[in-house]
Amino acid sequence: MLAGPRLASAACNVIALRPMSDPSTGLAMTEDDLHTLVGRRFPGGTRTIAHWENWLLTDCTGFDQLPGGLVHPIALFHVPIQGAGTSIAELFEISGAQGAGSVGLDGYDWEYLAPMREGVEYRVEGSVTEVERTVSADTGRIADRFVYSIELTDPEGVLTARITNHWRIRR
Amino acid sequence: MNEVDIEIGTEIPSWTMEFVDPQRMKTMAAILRDPYEVHWDHEAIRPLGFDRVINQGPLNLSYATNMLMAWQGPASVRRLNVRFTQPVFEGDHLVSRGTVTAIDEVDGEQRATCDIHLDRRLGDTDEVVMVGTAVVALGGDNPSTSQ
Repeated sequence: MLAGPRLASAACNVIALRPMSDPSTGLAMTEDDLHTLVGRRFPGGTRTIAHWENWLLTDCTGFDQLPGGLVHPIALFHVPIQGAGTSIAELFEISGAQGAGSVGLDGYDWEYLAPMREGVEYRVEGSVTEVERTVSADTGRIADRFVYSIELTDPEGVLTARITNHWRIRR
Repeated sequence: MNEVDIEIGTEIPSWTMEFVDPQRMKTMAAILRDPYEVHWDHEAIRPLGFDRVINQGPLNLSYATNMLMAWQGPASVRRLNVRFTQPVFEGDHLVSRGTVTAIDEVDGEQRATCDIHLDRRLGDTDEVVMVGTAVVALGGDNPSTSQ
């Protein structure tokens, strides 16, 4: 099996093994700072999924191209982030992550309320919804849960999808 | 399989990704605008103790999503709730599996709640790399599948 340090990014699920944080010197964000993030809204914006983008995305998954301009469901990772006017790198910055190796992916909760289609301009809005500082009883290591939620609505204002992504920031 | 054949305990036909292709990870990294080298640069990850690049989490979830769409159609997925338990690497052989745990009528359609998981083949055994639940509308079209 693998040896050596383990690394993570927002788009993979690798658990980081970093030197234990020293709460007195090693934290980039205090617990009070952490809690001020709740309710922080992303800039928001609109996002249209182009055919070429959906074609390549679907191809990456190994599935046949979908009929009728349907967007592959996995688009609910990057489309909400980009449409809300942020990015993976900026989310790391907001959460106070100290490099990719300090971020783990806990999971996704994605709701599809209507089919998403190519060429439709979706309105995208979201915010940071939950944070929690945890301390390992075994190691004393500090890790913060960082949760954000983003919604997509179609041009008629109908809610199309909602995502909630759970990250873990190791301090 | 149509909805009259489906009941609690029904096993969803599995969907296999026989080889996690690092070329696809590169394309995916560009689409996601994910700047982290672990998905595409072998030189960058070797000092970290890896010899294979790491698949993106959304791609891991996509294999389970493909299983659901192959089963009940391309517009059938209503909810995905998953957590990741192990990293997936280039060259891995993965199999998506699922089982129906409940059937309900919601907004006029029959929906199946399913336990889903993604397994890595290791010789004759499997290692779970992702687990979760999915909600799927029953009775949709059933397109062909591919890898």
